[in-house]
Amino acid sequence: MPQIDPLDYADPLDLLRRFIPTPLQALYRIGAVRVTVKTNDITLLPAFPLDLDLEVHAEQCLEWRLIRDAGLPDLLGPPLFMISGMLTIVTMGPACLIAVDHQQRELLAFLGTSIDARTHEDCVIPLLCQLTNEVFPAGTSLRFMAHDQASQNG
Amino acid sequence: MRQPHCAASFEMEVLIDSAMENTAHDATFFRGHRHLVFATLPPRGVVTYDLLRRRVHAVLSAGAARDRSFWNNVLLPITIGVLGTTVGVVPLHSACLDHNGTGVLVAGASGAGKSTLAAALAGCGFSFVSDDWTYISKDASALVAYGLSSPVKLLPDTVKFFPHLKDIAPHRTLNGELAYEIDPTWAGFSVNYVSHPRRVLFLERTSKPGCDFVPCRSEYVREFFEKSAERLPNELNEAKSFRASVIQTLSSVPAWILRTGGSPQTTAAAISDFILEGGDAPN
Repeated sequence: MPQIDPLDYADPLDLLRRFIPTPLQALYRIGAVRVTVKTNDITLLPAFPLDLDLEVHAEQCLEWRLIRDAGLPDLLGPPLFMISGMLTIVTMGPACLIAVDHQQRELLAFLGTSIDARTHEDCVIPLLCQLTNEVFPAGTSLRFMAHDQASQNG
Repeated sequence: MRQPHCAASFEMEVLIDSAMENTAHDATFFRGHRHLVFATLPPRGVVTYDLLRRRVHAVLSAGAARDRSFWNNVLLPITIGVLGTTVGVVPLHSACLDHNGTGVLVAGASGAGKSTLAAALAGCGFSFVSDDWTYISKDASALVAYGLSSPVKLLPDTVKFFPHLKDIAPHRTLNGELAYEIDPTWAGFSVNYVSHPRRVLFLERTSKPGCDFVPCRSEYVREFFEKSAERLPNELNEAKSFRASVIQTLSSVPAWILRTGGSPQTTAAAISDFILEGGDAPN
């Protein structure tokens, strides 16, 4: 697993690592949801089959951005969930920070090096799948979700 | 804090997690992507900032939630620092002192001695506003500088300039540095929370004794503050524009590079003389 972080975060200043490139990309399908996974570490790509049916138009799409971050502290802890408005936030100690923006259709995860392949496959990926399903509850189409959001806003 | 012209509010939701007090890790760090920012403030909290919706989601230990100094010295300054530009205040890495209504920003590279000089200036007639981060907003076209009453952070070797520091012990600060953190009022400083920046000094240490005030051009001021500002994502274009406009206005403020090889006290006295004797008067 790469431990060296060759990127320069000082010029331009990027203390929060907002602009870590995630050049690796793969498509998956979780139920009715097409998931685009973008990452900077190939070992973070899920082991389940790729979605090769690129012609099919998926109504429900979500982007996972999985960032391997060697700068995070190593400590993993019990999961802590916080659901508020359009955000679901899950932390498992400082080595695993996850947020899902339901409105922007985006899942963001910063994962420290203490999350090895087994932990990732056995704990993190199932959690990400669960969070994905919560963005698109079974039987909910985008049309109805848009209606719900309009109701909340109005 | 008085509402600046372009201020926006934010919401903070706080959950208390009674198990959090038991966590053992001690690193504070920040991570972000697009409009989301995580801050872990162990062992007392995890905070997520949603900069698009201006919402803050905090999970705090029971002790942290009850601790006024945690709110005043940690959580609120960090929150203003992270949300800052999206709620109408631009965090600038500089100290700010006030002299009879004239705000003086003291900027410079990390380690240049901004905090030490700020403490020395506060000891020679200037009112203390901030020593490390100053929050700038616009009231109509005028700049307004705010401090957040955070403690002054002085590194252990500054005890030779401020002997009364011997009475207290340095401790590990949020960024892991060993430092004295002193309440400005404990140190006897006059404190202003608001000022109007009318002078900017860029502090540079030199081995040559004495102080030189070298006028600098507006481009220098603008480039310095733009380069020292956090890169923002495209989702926050409005915030980027606001910050650029504040920095543009600030670049029209008279500014000098201050090269000093003297002690903080002699440098502070030189600044005081420079301002009192009108050496800073515009040509």
